[in-house]
Amino acid sequence: MREITATVLENKRIADEIYSLTFAAEEEIAVRPGQFCMVGVGGFPLRRPIALCKAEGERFTVCYRVKGSGTRALAREYKAGEKLSVLLPLGNGFYVKEQETKVAVVGGGVGIFPLISAIRTYSKNKQVYAYMGFRNRAAVCMEYDMTRGEKLTLATDDGSVGFHGTSVQAFMQDVDMVCPDVVLACGPTPMLRALKTAMRDKDIPVYVSLEERMGCGIGACLVCVCEKTDGAHARVCKDGPVFEINDVVL
Amino acid sequence: MADLSVTLCGKTLKNPVIPASGTFGFGREFDEIYDISCLGGVATKGVALVPWEGNPVPRIAESRGVILNAVGLQNPGVEKFIAEDLPWLRQKTRVIANVVGRTIEDYEGVCARLDGLVDFLELNISCPNVKCGGMAFGIRPEAIEEVTARAKAKCPSTPLIVKLSPNVESIALNAQAAERGGADCLSLVNTFTGMAIDIERRRPVLANNTGGVSGAGIKPVAVRMVYEAAHAVSIPVIGIGGITCAEDAVEFMMAGAVAVQVGTQNFTDTRACPKIIAGLNEWCDAHGVARVAELTDTLKLNERRKTC
Repeated sequence: MREITATVLENKRIADEIYSLTFAAEEEIAVRPGQFCMVGVGGFPLRRPIALCKAEGERFTVCYRVKGSGTRALAREYKAGEKLSVLLPLGNGFYVKEQETKVAVVGGGVGIFPLISAIRTYSKNKQVYAYMGFRNRAAVCMEYDMTRGEKLTLATDDGSVGFHGTSVQAFMQDVDMVCPDVVLACGPTPMLRALKTAMRDKDIPVYVSLEERMGCGIGACLVCVCEKTDGAHARVCKDGPVFEINDVVL
Repeated sequence: MADLSVTLCGKTLKNPVIPASGTFGFGREFDEIYDISCLGGVATKGVALVPWEGNPVPRIAESRGVILNAVGLQNPGVEKFIAEDLPWLRQKTRVIANVVGRTIEDYEGVCARLDGLVDFLELNISCPNVKCGGMAFGIRPEAIEEVTARAKAKCPSTPLIVKLSPNVESIALNAQAAERGGADCLSLVNTFTGMAIDIERRRPVLANNTGGVSGAGIKPVAVRMVYEAAHAVSIPVIGIGGITCAEDAVEFMMAGAVAVQVGTQNFTDTRACPKIIAGLNEWCDAHGVARVAELTDTLKLNERRKTC
């Protein structure tokens, strides 16, 4: 984990409210799929936690939804050439065991972006089945990166592209046929909850990446906790963001 | 190269910059970014007699120039602190153990357990985010005096800092109450009680509804309160509230602070504390100040014309 001053290479709108920001560090930094970074936005006291979507040596891409004043400023003010203070890599990230060769990824909303890093990494030597959910056609983005795996199923809430329904529903139609060794998921809490319920009787490990409002992003301030099923609190930034789905209360 | 060391209750700190409680954990995470032995000390996360789970999430919100938090003093408890964090932290720098409780007996218990094991104890009677204890002990002068006196009786060999709340009628009277109770030092201010509303949902952003406001926006109020407290007592004062740079630290010292604590800025800039230390050295050199300690209480008020 380190704090770097990065240079913005590109910061562009790629779908409805969604921006893709690529920045360069001064040197290569190794990251794991599912790790994230904290991006400083000038004038705002808190950094924004954003999943790392692509990592290529010293170049990193994150995608974010313009939701509040901070992300609006990030979209508007950080053009190519601007300097950006970034803490990275943060969190545990996904971990797929060597013998787990069939990987299913199930994503929804901005939750698809950390999964793109998983698809990019694991499609090199594993079969990756991706189920990615969007609100509608206008929200679909990064299709090229999602098609690297064995199979990509898009799902939209309004049926304008692909499966009409959620990515969890699309995945559950396939699960017995695909028989994945492990499932990686990220998305809105109701989606993760539906996945947990649907996978209850399957003997397949499911790992979810959680989102929470953060303070420091490095594990010191205890702001971004989630509740574990044993009643304890875990830090999403440091102990997560990836947890075994049965270990956390959703 | 200025002499940055300051003396607090007879103990020397290599410089006056201390990360504030709750923003820095027990120092381990920040030590991955920089060697925290450069700090004057570390004010630890609040430590209770037993582990606390804290409040539900969201625990943090942002507003212009400030943040609000309602962590609710989640902490691993004093025994785990002693076993796992204290030996490591002691080797790094001065340890200011922040003490939290729900009852006076809680405060007494933690102070007794940590007496002699840490450099300073900081009595947190000013947290706005817990239902019992916390700020409940820190609003009325009589309550402040009592909890201070009873805690001090349990830690005769460790200087006791009392951390004051700004959510009060008179900071000067509360400072004097702590001094009467036997406090060796004061630190102020803790956070201001505030609220942020998500207007789309018509609900408070924080699960706790209200939270403590901190960050650059509170600095002028904090400076005024440090000035008033420092001039009401004869014990040393640590200034806290919205410090983001060396110049801010100088301001608090001129107002009467012997040392300063830096909180929210650690989130904005992970290296805030070492930058402020370096900046203090530069400021002193540029202003012909040989010892940073000379800055304390050097403010001269303007003459005010009588208008009524």
